[in-house]
Amino acid sequence: MGAMLEIRNYTKSYGGDKKAADNVSLTVESGDIYGFIGHNGAGKSTTIRAVVGVLDFTEGDIYIDGHSVKTESMECKKVTAYIPDNPDLYENLTGIQYLNFVADVFGISASDREERIRKYADAFEITSSLGDLIGSYSHGMKQKVAIISALIHEPKLLVLDEPFVGLDPKATFTLKEIMHEMCGRGTAIFFSTHVLDVAEKLCNKVAIIKQGRIIASGSIEEITEGHSLEETFLEADNE
Amino acid sequence: MNKDILLLKTLLLSTSQPNIYRHTQDKKRKKKVVAAYIGLSCLYLMLIGYSVAISIGYASFGMFDPIPVMCAMVISILALVFTFFKTNGYLFNFKEYDMLMSLPFTPSTIAGCKFLYMYLKSMPWYLCISIAMMAVYGHYTGAGAVTYVIWFVLTFILPVIPMLGASFLGFIIAKIGAGFKKNNKLIQTAITMIFVVFCFSLRFIIEDMFRDDKVKETLNSISAGTDRAAAMYPPIRWFADAIAVTSISSMLLLAGISILLFSVVFKIVGASYRNINSAMASHAAGKKYKMTSMKRSSVTRAIAFKEFKRLTGSVAYMTNGAMGEMLAVLFGVVTLIVGFDKIIHTVTQGAPIDTVILQPAIPFIAYFFIGMVATTVCSPSLEGKNYWIVQSLPIEKRTLYKGKMLFNMIFTMPFMLFAILCMCISARASVIDTIMYMILGIVLCAFSTAWGCVCGIKHMRLDWENEIEVIKQSAAVAIYMFPNMFVCMGLIVLTVVLGMHMSHVLLSLILTAVAAILALLSYLRVMTLADK
Repeated sequence: MGAMLEIRNYTKSYGGDKKAADNVSLTVESGDIYGFIGHNGAGKSTTIRAVVGVLDFTEGDIYIDGHSVKTESMECKKVTAYIPDNPDLYENLTGIQYLNFVADVFGISASDREERIRKYADAFEITSSLGDLIGSYSHGMKQKVAIISALIHEPKLLVLDEPFVGLDPKATFTLKEIMHEMCGRGTAIFFSTHVLDVAEKLCNKVAIIKQGRIIASGSIEEITEGHSLEETFLEADNE
Repeated sequence: MNKDILLLKTLLLSTSQPNIYRHTQDKKRKKKVVAAYIGLSCLYLMLIGYSVAISIGYASFGMFDPIPVMCAMVISILALVFTFFKTNGYLFNFKEYDMLMSLPFTPSTIAGCKFLYMYLKSMPWYLCISIAMMAVYGHYTGAGAVTYVIWFVLTFILPVIPMLGASFLGFIIAKIGAGFKKNNKLIQTAITMIFVVFCFSLRFIIEDMFRDDKVKETLNSISAGTDRAAAMYPPIRWFADAIAVTSISSMLLLAGISILLFSVVFKIVGASYRNINSAMASHAAGKKYKMTSMKRSSVTRAIAFKEFKRLTGSVAYMTNGAMGEMLAVLFGVVTLIVGFDKIIHTVTQGAPIDTVILQPAIPFIAYFFIGMVATTVCSPSLEGKNYWIVQSLPIEKRTLYKGKMLFNMIFTMPFMLFAILCMCISARASVIDTIMYMILGIVLCAFSTAWGCVCGIKHMRLDWENEIEVIKQSAAVAIYMFPNMFVCMGLIVLTVVLGMHMSHVLLSLILTAVAAILALLSYLRVMTLADK
């Protein structure tokens, strides 16, 4: 399996004394479900936003499928999908209009988009609401539309920021199933979460970030050494 | 479909009222869409009427050539000013930045499409002006079909250069602001205001230059004025030449330079786009805070403080909300330095007016600036998606609006008093007159605050995509601002006339009483609306 996402010595400073991300390095390979865990404000979202090309950064580089985010951002974006923690979608478009927009951006054929939208919208039980304005959706429904829009072009790298927040239990289960299915097809998944239980069961690799620095990373077995991820996280956090 | 067109189409669809009308299930919202269209149509008709009247004014004196010049000048100025105030909010620092940047669009594409979105949204205004003036010009000159076609086509090109200029200036300001890690919003606001003040000053500097050249007589003629504008800004001349003598080279120049500038500007903007937006969305993290003793304040004061932070947290809000205050202070200082007499002399083009009779108008002159925008007009709508916070807290709506009004009073009063005091000192008003004018100024602030709040609540809109929509373009702002400005101008004239026939103190007392009654009625209306 090749490296789909490689973060090398990534550093982001906002000008204050503290660095939001300090010399972060990690590698996500095709087929990995990579969990990124840490406290609130530890630097998870800052790192994720840099990965997807939203935020510029001070030092280091990030590579997606061998392309630098800094210099070949378009190549990177073509194979990446991103789901933010709080999806700000166009409120005055209907769900289907928004999905069509994203499908158009990625040049998805009419038959493929119809098949994929139907598949995922049915799975998330949102098909009947796709004709309504996004502004009328609940947070969870917006999150579902954002997830479908991310899956529509079958990305090689799926980046999710707290994807389970706001989802109902059935949708959470569905998303986990989809993540497993994608991972089986060779898609690399990199996501942040606070829910250690989910990370432990879902991921094959994790990285723990604290105050902008990676304090542990590797496969679940390597990191936990027979303990639970929760115990490992708390122990690492106290050091 | 080309990605640029796709993005532009989606941006337009995302704020399309017909799209909302077609897909919303909310009948109230459908009615609002219809009402918005009716209101907009009225404004378009007013603009057409105004443009027709101006053009007929020229044509009836046999001055046909200044009509296209005037058309180009008005459109260029409007495009420059409106775009400048909208750049921060539309081009930078917009809500869906993360979503768009994570999709395979280049920064130049996003910035360019955002610009074209602004351009297309403002095009109907320019078309109203242009078509009205074209019709009058064609009617009086008996112009052929070619002239109509050229005029119509060039109308679409005319706003591009000033809009690009304004966008580029906004970009420079954002770039400078982005260089400051802390307080970058304050820096951007300060630079924006300095630029606006500079533009105001430039007008007087240019006039002085022409006066020094002893061409005052020439400048007094309207056509010479428009010719001067055309000489200073070549695109106006190109447009006028294309219309008057069907100059192909002028048409090509206007179109070619617009396209060239568009590609150059967005090549430059695109190169720094991510850097600027990252800086604007970032906050320096010191993490040095230590818990200290805390102070308790009343709910109203807490809301007022929240309003203060909302104002200072947004460049667009601060630039628009504090512009009147800034201009009032500037005007006050200028009157102290230059003298009230000289300013009146300049404004009235040297009319033999005794400045003593103008003294009762001082509070209204200050109010013309201060009352331009009240924060209470847009602050109810600015709650936007955060409205749940105040809704879920045990705060009565009365208290919420009282807090918003308290902030506007605290914010406007010092500026109002400063401007009045400066003018009174400069105009050598008596102590008792000065005190009366200051009291009237405070009452006018109260009226502006309460009436603004009525407009803000009545036309509250929480579902905005971009805060500029409620800060600059909302129904609340239009309903508050335009009548307020025109009535204020009328009151300036009325007070001068009345001041010639009665004691200034008595006149101030009467005006204070009237303003106080209106402020009280507006306040009571706010309370009624809060209870609904």
